[in-house]
Amino acid sequence: MDKQRDFVLRTIEERGVKFIRLWFTDVAGTLKSVAIAPAEVEGAFAEGLGFDGSAIEGLARTYEADMLAQPDPSTFQILPWRGEIDPTARMFCDIQTPDGKPAAADPRNVLRRALAKASDLGFSFYIHPEIEFYLLKSTQLDANGEPVPVDNAGYFDNVPGGTAHDFRRRAVSMLEQLGISVEFSHHEGGPGQNEIDLRYADALTMADNIMTFRTVIKEVAIEQGVYATFMPKPFTQHPGSGMHTHMSLFEGDTNAFFDPSAQYHLSKTAKHFIAGLLRHAPEITAVTNQYVNSYKRLWGGGEAPSFVCWGHNNRSALIRVPLYKPNKGNSSRIEYRAIDSAANPYLAYALLLNAGLKGIEEEYALPSETEDNVWGLNDAERRAMGIQPLPQSLDHAIRKLEESELVAETLGEEVFSYVLANKRREWSAYRAQVTPYELKQNLETL
Amino acid sequence: MANRDLGLSELARFGFVDLGSTMAKLDQLVKLVGDPGRSALAALGATADPDQALNALLFLAESNTAKIKALLKKDDSARRLCLLLGASSAFTDFLMRHPSQLDVFEKPAPSLTTAAQMLDSICTSVTTSISSGADTQSIWNALRIAYRRELLKIAIFDLCQSDVEAGLPTVAAALADVAAAAIEAGIVVARHELKSSTDFGVFSEFEVDNTAFAVIAMGKCGARELNYISDVDVIYVANTKSDDLESHRAVEVATKLATRMMRAMDGTATEPMLWQVDPNLRPEGKSGALVRTLESHVAYYDRWAQSWEFQALLKARPLAGDLDLGHAYVDALSPKVWASAMRENFVESVQKMRERVTDYIPANEIDLQIKLGPGGLRDIEFTVQLLQLVHGRTDESVRQRDTISAINALANGGYVSRSDAQQFAKHYKFLRLIEHRIQLSEMRRTHLMPTSESKRRALARALNLKFHAEDLIQKWESVKLEVRALHQSIFYRPLLSAVSKLDNDSLSLSDAQVQDRLHAIGFSDPKGALEQIAALTAGLSRRAAIQKQLLPVLIQWFSEGSDPDAALLAFRRLSEDLGDSPWYLKMLRDSTGAAERMTQVLSNSRLATNLFERIPEAAAWFEKSEDLLPITKNALTVEFEAIVSRQSLLEPAAKAIRGIRRRETLRLAMGAVLGDLTIDQVSTGLSDLTDAYLKAMLDAALQLEGLDISTDDLNAVLDLGIIAMGRFGGEELGFGSDADVMFVYKAKDGVAVDTAQRVAARAINELKLLVKDSLLEFELDLDLRPEGKNGPSVRSLESYAAYYKRWANTWEAQALLRARVIAGSDELRDEFVALINEYRYPKELPNQAVIEIRRIKARVETERLPQGADPKRHLKLGRGSLSDVEWLVQLLQMQHGNEHPIIRTPQTLAALKACVSVGVIADHDARVLEEAWILASRVRSASVLWANKRTDVLPVDRKQLDGIARILEYPRGSAAQLEQDYLSHTRRARAVFERIFYGFISDAD
Repeated sequence: MDKQRDFVLRTIEERGVKFIRLWFTDVAGTLKSVAIAPAEVEGAFAEGLGFDGSAIEGLARTYEADMLAQPDPSTFQILPWRGEIDPTARMFCDIQTPDGKPAAADPRNVLRRALAKASDLGFSFYIHPEIEFYLLKSTQLDANGEPVPVDNAGYFDNVPGGTAHDFRRRAVSMLEQLGISVEFSHHEGGPGQNEIDLRYADALTMADNIMTFRTVIKEVAIEQGVYATFMPKPFTQHPGSGMHTHMSLFEGDTNAFFDPSAQYHLSKTAKHFIAGLLRHAPEITAVTNQYVNSYKRLWGGGEAPSFVCWGHNNRSALIRVPLYKPNKGNSSRIEYRAIDSAANPYLAYALLLNAGLKGIEEEYALPSETEDNVWGLNDAERRAMGIQPLPQSLDHAIRKLEESELVAETLGEEVFSYVLANKRREWSAYRAQVTPYELKQNLETL
Repeated sequence: MANRDLGLSELARFGFVDLGSTMAKLDQLVKLVGDPGRSALAALGATADPDQALNALLFLAESNTAKIKALLKKDDSARRLCLLLGASSAFTDFLMRHPSQLDVFEKPAPSLTTAAQMLDSICTSVTTSISSGADTQSIWNALRIAYRRELLKIAIFDLCQSDVEAGLPTVAAALADVAAAAIEAGIVVARHELKSSTDFGVFSEFEVDNTAFAVIAMGKCGARELNYISDVDVIYVANTKSDDLESHRAVEVATKLATRMMRAMDGTATEPMLWQVDPNLRPEGKSGALVRTLESHVAYYDRWAQSWEFQALLKARPLAGDLDLGHAYVDALSPKVWASAMRENFVESVQKMRERVTDYIPANEIDLQIKLGPGGLRDIEFTVQLLQLVHGRTDESVRQRDTISAINALANGGYVSRSDAQQFAKHYKFLRLIEHRIQLSEMRRTHLMPTSESKRRALARALNLKFHAEDLIQKWESVKLEVRALHQSIFYRPLLSAVSKLDNDSLSLSDAQVQDRLHAIGFSDPKGALEQIAALTAGLSRRAAIQKQLLPVLIQWFSEGSDPDAALLAFRRLSEDLGDSPWYLKMLRDSTGAAERMTQVLSNSRLATNLFERIPEAAAWFEKSEDLLPITKNALTVEFEAIVSRQSLLEPAAKAIRGIRRRETLRLAMGAVLGDLTIDQVSTGLSDLTDAYLKAMLDAALQLEGLDISTDDLNAVLDLGIIAMGRFGGEELGFGSDADVMFVYKAKDGVAVDTAQRVAARAINELKLLVKDSLLEFELDLDLRPEGKNGPSVRSLESYAAYYKRWANTWEAQALLRARVIAGSDELRDEFVALINEYRYPKELPNQAVIEIRRIKARVETERLPQGADPKRHLKLGRGSLSDVEWLVQLLQMQHGNEHPIIRTPQTLAALKACVSVGVIADHDARVLEEAWILASRVRSASVLWANKRTDVLPVDRKQLDGIARILEYPRGSAAQLEQDYLSHTRRARAVFERIFYGFISDAD
């Protein structure tokens, strides 16, 4: 740690950094930023930076407003979009209470706790997300009340001279400058929809990376005069933006999901982990898919994973076990497909991890694989096969959430009750609307 | 044969154990080496383990007959050889591997080889090996053999000492010196490797030559008090010696030098490794750079270092490599050690140090630990280092590296009395000696007393040939005891010396010195504390004399509680109040258990401390835990009745009754703080006490005079009863709870209704005045009576009947569930109970009523909660806390009480259990409710005990939470854990409550 601090202080001097942004994430998953001058950095390392936590959603109860942001020097990066004039850097922070204990309501701390539990069991947790988002001309809606995408291309299309191409090139290079490796980037199914896959990293680093990623994408969009959105489902008729997440557990240097002798090379550990995810999927959905809009994606058809089942290369299943390259045991992983691009990655990953670990600890049995396209089955068939649906609305998800011991334990009581209250508020605000749909359907006929 | 004339008992006298085969072995020896084999018997008999020595001798003689024969020929070389073989099987193996080293035994060794000589001989072996062109492994072998040869010499010197304990500091210093020599030679090897080999990268000869590299010893090696085998703690410093070599390059070279040097000590080669070089005390520990420049070290300690890292620097000493650089390092950093002692968090770092002493010993080793166990070496080192840190700030003379010198310096400086210092040094040497002998035997790094009888025997003989295993253990146990007592008398006793003359002890500390010590152990106002100590020990009274004896240990206990300053002050007041009562002094003097319990109460509960000042004689209860048991209700009633009948005047009687209530509350509080009472016992005790208190006060009030009636005895006019309601009715009172009550009377035959009513009202008014107690608050709450605040304070039985018949609404019936008649005649009680049963256990509870109860509850939830309170943290009205559980139970009682008399009880938990038994609630649901209810009750009670203030909210302040958690028997620092536990228990209880009480069914599926 201290070596990294020295590195930070040295770099600030050498590069003439003028501002340092301290970043942290509130419970809803919004990035918060406080800028400080280089002279304050040393003090922030030593004692943390005091701030009024009550101003931040879900972070502190109003009566214990004083919080400390403790910068994590290993996350220090110069922000590339600031250019050479007034170079600016950022660091992620852990939030602490005034007595120096980790704040219960800090999402980063929630994930740290889950990782510590995994580590007690001998596991480290790796993540590889595929993040989808839409590029729009602006936030303005068109005459039909719909957003306007930058292009009309489709999956893997190469759009000559297209905005999206330049955009991705610029975004990828910026991400690389920030130390975030990009595996893959391409045009996705919807018009203006793009996907960028980040190279796998441990879960905490990845959650930080995702927060950075969203900022980078937004910044590049501004630079290029377009608008980027991670809204789960901006278009009724086009696919939503998911964040399919590949996960693996390692025991030391060995991939704990890999067993060369088993079917699909899935080890016992992997099977229990999948079983854990499946059993707890409905109750964690309010976090992995946290907005009213998220459920429009989950139930919008297409490849959306609406049903709790798993399959080998089954693109309609909630959990997919991807095809492995032979002899690459360490690339064994499973893909969770429900989570969307607007989730709070710290909370979502903590829950996915603990759901899987619960499966391992209690040795849940893995249900049999689903080979069919689940969307093609009718309700009775699905019921006969024991395939449950994921929650169909935020309301439904909240009800699952409030009964969940797993979520309460993982998030801690403070965050848990904040999330519940926050989501209930969102649902009742949504429900109070009269929507264009209703007006269109009902006004003239009733 | 040669030794035919020797009897077995003679062999036993020489110390052999395996007598039967010894004879044959001796014969064998004589056969090999001739007569000298016979004379070796005396030398063998003088060793720690003659059997082992003889076996080793035979073993060596078989392949090195001539050499052994020569050695055995002379008495003194025979003695040296046998002593060594008897003491160390590891060295026997070494000699088997390298018989050429046997020449070490030839010459007598009256003194140790000097450090310079050792350095020279090891380095010479290495350079010789290098110049012969040997490969790395062979050079390592040469180094290790040369090191072990020197070590062997030290071992021989050690074993030949006439007074082994006296020689210990010299031996320990030599062990550090030989380690230094090995490391120096290791650097020679490393430099050679770097310069000559292409394997190790890209450093030019110029670069290697111009890199200054110094090894700083820390820990025991730094203090020159090393063990035979131990990790050597070091820190590396590097610098460039030429302008043409950049310092970061020099650090790279030095890093390579350091790693290669360490490999020379512990890398694999035919001659086994020496020991680990441990560089983990360096800045940033394991994750930090292995080597730093001096400037980088200084910058680190200036900016980042923790207090404990400075403590490690206490022992830093240049060990090997570039000594100029090493000295520069020590000169630059040692002032910072003492500056660090001035820092804010000094107290915490002392506490950390203490925790390190007691933690991390596996339970099965605790009785075998020579180093870490209670009364072990660590205890001595802790005491010495603590004193050094406290007093070294102002007095440079105590800044010594090694323990023995530090003890001497502390004695010379007047911080430790001479006799204590002597004792301490003696015990330290004794323990170290045991440790040395155990390690020497197999050259293993261990600090455990061996468990096998034969090893213990050898160890005992190593100390004294006449010692048996039991003698050793006995001596060791007594040393351990004394070491523990010495910590007391060395650190705490002198705290008194500044302000009072201590007998038989010339030692006297100044005010400032004592304040330093008090501050170090957690007194936030050392000056104030010193005043209390002065007051407590002033004068020549017996009390002062006893307190002088006792205070050192009391101060230690106070310092372990949560508020030492307040506790010491309270103790002083107590002691002044009790004056010279003989029983008090006797208790303090004779019963350490009682004194310790007293400190626990004084430093952990403000409620108890406050009451204590009023009732100092309660100190007597500490002696026996039976005295802390609540007095039975009967005994209480008898005592109260006696007072009422004895005192003809009202006010004196009331005063006496209040006194008893305070006394018994204190008794319960003490029992609760000390953990002697369960939550059940506390709440039953408090309820019984309140029952008896009210009854006694009512009796007193009924003695009232001056009423406008014909008779003096009000009992002839009416039969007055008290009905306990709410938590009081349920016998669930906590400290600071209100007592909810109602009053009922029945006029005697022939008494006019209005007369009876007037008399009753007057008596109740008097009662309300009488029960008030300014010193220990008592709230009588009459709000549950019919018509609430607007109703008359007392009604006749008929009036109750008429009221309930006409007006009773559901919530009143519900409140009656908790009614319990605590005063009045049996007849009155039975009639009243029969009256209310009709309402509280109705034949059928109409659906309308159920809805009504639910609605009221829902309204209470939103309205009664204080403005801005967090419902999750409200202990009474909050989510899943007391009222949720109670309302649910009450609903069940109203629904099913008529059918199942077994569930008719005012007590929540009893009712809940009964409900399970008749199947109106599921067992697992009941358990969730019960857990939440108990936890909320305990937290409520504990927060009154802790703060002496009633609160219905789980505090957010970490310190308060921690205090409450301590009373609830959580470990120190459990604020977050308590919070998490409380929130999760109540959340689950709320879910059960909502489902059953509101009939809420999830419509999600």
